[in-house]
Amino acid sequence: MSSIFYDHLLEFDKLEKYVKKHVKTEEERVEIYHLIDEIVHHRIIGCILDRLPREHHEEFLHKFGEKPHDNELLSFLLSKIGHDVEAFIREEVYTLGSELLELIRPKIKKTS
Amino acid sequence: MYGNDIAETIRQKFKVKSLEAQKKLSTLHPHAVAFLKEKGVPVSQLRNHSTKLLGAGIAGGVLLLSPSIDHTITSVDYAKRLTTNLNQTATNLPARGYERTYMEKLNEVLPQEVRALNREEEKRLEQLFYEAYGVKARGTLEGEHLNTTYGRIGAEQHLRRYPGDTMATHDAVAEKDEGMAPGLGAWGYFAPSKEKLTPELVETEKWYAVVQTLYLPDWNTRTRFLRDWYKHRKVLIVNTDNGKAVVAGIADSGPAAWTGKHFGGSPEVMNHLGGARYKKGPVVLFFVDDPNNKVPLGPVTMQQTQLPDVSLKAL
Repeated sequence: MSSIFYDHLLEFDKLEKYVKKHVKTEEERVEIYHLIDEIVHHRIIGCILDRLPREHHEEFLHKFGEKPHDNELLSFLLSKIGHDVEAFIREEVYTLGSELLELIRPKIKKTS
Repeated sequence: MYGNDIAETIRQKFKVKSLEAQKKLSTLHPHAVAFLKEKGVPVSQLRNHSTKLLGAGIAGGVLLLSPSIDHTITSVDYAKRLTTNLNQTATNLPARGYERTYMEKLNEVLPQEVRALNREEEKRLEQLFYEAYGVKARGTLEGEHLNTTYGRIGAEQHLRRYPGDTMATHDAVAEKDEGMAPGLGAWGYFAPSKEKLTPELVETEKWYAVVQTLYLPDWNTRTRFLRDWYKHRKVLIVNTDNGKAVVAGIADSGPAAWTGKHFGGSPEVMNHLGGARYKKGPVVLFFVDDPNNKVPLGPVTMQQTQLPDVSLKAL
């Protein structure tokens, strides 16, 4: 379900594949899924607030707390920030996905 | 302690990363963290909070959507969707008049964007599916409801049916088979040994579905009951791009919300819904009301019976 208004912008397929490959039990997977979810929310809320002028923070947070799933939040942000909100969220998602994968994938040592 | 070192390392690294992300947000935007906390919505509990709100909305028959994205279909939306369907590839294009009419009716009910359906929309689809496929499917069954019944399905791998099961003894789809999942499904093996694997369980693994039980708002308080209730529960999955449908049994929990997907399907399920290259797409997923276990798993075909009027004016 799109329970958060930016869910449709999240695509961590490679990360999911990696976690499923290495984390074999359901309980462990669920705990890791929740941890990733926490990281995602903190990062995306942070990147939105970084761009949203300070005087609109409270209004956004109020609307967000009331209806976190509401797609109208994107229109609200667009009207206050003035440029493509979905684009910078996607960018943050891409960066975060790379960071998380880099964090857990074994480092390949260069031989030469 | 986790079952293996890699899993434990992943958990620890993500735990640290999560704390770092929390600290950064608290440092840069302390007012925001304090505001949400005061409203009873800590950032780490956002999904849980939203799921509860949506669950209450669905149970009350009203989805908490803003009026501007209300599901009511305008003629422009409808024409746009119909054109989209007609422009799809030949394999997705409904070839005959009946299927075309069915797709039109399906599109009359579905919102333009994938989202949780409200009770009224689900009722209309239940009626449509019953007439089209002859399957009694329900958005809510015995009081249970998924967080969403309209979402994106993603391709899953085969599941191990018993200890020692391999692809060598497993059916595979002809092309682009994803192979065997390294871990077990949420309900473990289907049978304790190869000898105890019944033909029914073989079918269940072959036609299995994945749903997000992990995000159910009452999963943590009714775990035991819900685990039993969802285990191998039959669901009707309808590809809303082409009308192809399959009855599957729930055999795993997921996918994670941050994948952009809401359901999963076995290689056979995905192959039937959209062909060998079909990896992700929008579907409706309803429980099958089958108390006497009469509905077989696998593809369902259209009945060619008269389709009901599911438009808003008919209600």
